[in-house]
Amino acid sequence: MTRMFAHHQALISGCISFAVILLGWQLAVDLGLVQVFFTSTPVRVAVAFWQEFRSGEIAANVGVSLYELFCGLALACVAGIGLGALASWSRTIEHVLEPFIWFTYACPIIAFYPLFIAWLGLGAPTIIAIAFLSALTPLYANTLSGIKTADQELMRAARSFGARRRDLFLKVALPGSVPIVVAGLRLAVGRGLTGVIAGELFGAAAGLGYSIAFYGQKLKTTEMMVSLVLVVIVGVILTQLLSLCEAATDSWRTGPGR
Amino acid sequence: MAVATDYEHRRAPSIGAALDRHYGALVSTAAVFAFLVVWQLAAARGWVNARYTSSPSQVFAAALDIARHDDFLHHAWVSLSEFTLGFAAALGFGLPLGLALGTSRRLRLFIDPPMMALYTAPRLTLLPILIIWLGIGAASKVAVVFLGAVFPIIVNTMAGVREADPRLLQAARAFGAGRLDSMIKVLVPGALPAILLGVRLAIGRGVLSVVVGEMFVSEAGIGHQIMNYGEAMQVGHLMVYAFAISLFGYALTIAVRLLEDRIRSWRPQP
Repeated sequence: MTRMFAHHQALISGCISFAVILLGWQLAVDLGLVQVFFTSTPVRVAVAFWQEFRSGEIAANVGVSLYELFCGLALACVAGIGLGALASWSRTIEHVLEPFIWFTYACPIIAFYPLFIAWLGLGAPTIIAIAFLSALTPLYANTLSGIKTADQELMRAARSFGARRRDLFLKVALPGSVPIVVAGLRLAVGRGLTGVIAGELFGAAAGLGYSIAFYGQKLKTTEMMVSLVLVVIVGVILTQLLSLCEAATDSWRTGPGR
Repeated sequence: MAVATDYEHRRAPSIGAALDRHYGALVSTAAVFAFLVVWQLAAARGWVNARYTSSPSQVFAAALDIARHDDFLHHAWVSLSEFTLGFAAALGFGLPLGLALGTSRRLRLFIDPPMMALYTAPRLTLLPILIIWLGIGAASKVAVVFLGAVFPIIVNTMAGVREADPRLLQAARAFGAGRLDSMIKVLVPGALPAILLGVRLAIGRGVLSVVVGEMFVSEAGIGHQIMNYGEAMQVGHLMVYAFAISLFGYALTIAVRLLEDRIRSWRPQP
């Protein structure tokens, strides 16, 4: 009961603080403290949101960005988890891969977007490539460390029952690493989304990032705010979904090994 | 990021103790070298279009050209000062706010939801509107670095403070420590590893922010040059600048990680 109350208390105070922000924003413009050109107002944004929603512009932009994000993430999952598993299998492979993986992590991938456009053309393939490279490292690193730090007691138990190296790998270490890999996926979604939106600011002709840059160049603040709000909503929903996945994949574990 | 680097625990093919110890570094170096050779060959033999891929020799020539004719130091200085200002502001704002949020539940209830909403969204989306607000000069880049770096700092400081050892706090209070005392002498040192982790994450975000900000619209800086050379399809020059900024971010990250290791070494393991 008290927990339920605490839960609702968080919800109520959260709603209050969003309401205060919106009210302050609206009042700041209405009272003439800031010009409407700079910030627009919540009412205008809501009206524009509804119009864009009716005209299908929102669905189109969100659809393109999500499509690019999912393609990039899917590729990053295949490559990151595959390479991570390979690297955990052989120390030599790990060291061969290491400099390249960490380069993609340290390097601002967006800097290479002119190259991607030259190779892949303007639009979805370029953005997918940027999302893929942005999302790769967390998946690789978490798969590798998840397998490496596999529960040693389980490993010993399996070994004493006659498991071979391949069995240990496929039946103990790999399944055991799932929660850590999912945690990596959550990081990858965040980095991938940044990659998609930032990539679309430069090298795209559709999507949320593109619409922000497009309206920004025309100095249409209201329409830009609509897309900004959408990016926040998409980010929150994806993160919440991944947190649920994380909890679900971790729930079968019990005890202190968790 | 949790990356286990426990190479020491495993045995390499036994070719000798010294070789054994440096096995990883040797393999990595060989892999990079092999990559460079293949890249050079592929460009020289025409397997790939060298105009789009450049080649190691072209990148090297571009680096010499930049050192001689390009005002590299000026652009590096512009980017560095934007990064430093934005990052300092993020530390100055993020640490106190993180401390306050970590210690006050009431504050957390109201600030946390909007902050988390902004934290999960890519802050680079704010770039176009920051440019409308602050112009195309350094101010908009400082702001985007600040926004990129401040959230990991706030969130990790908050988490570090909340996970502080309650026994230590109790002990401090029993010896008559006030709120401020227990904050400065118990909470902050206790939260230091978490804070440093936040700083390390923030560096990556800050570097990305300054580059993308300058690429979007600017008058000078590393990102500005990357954009110029990208539009002119001078891939070698572009790569030199991209390598330079990557190296900068990587070196800073490593420096903070070393600091983290030193701090962890004086803390007793739980």
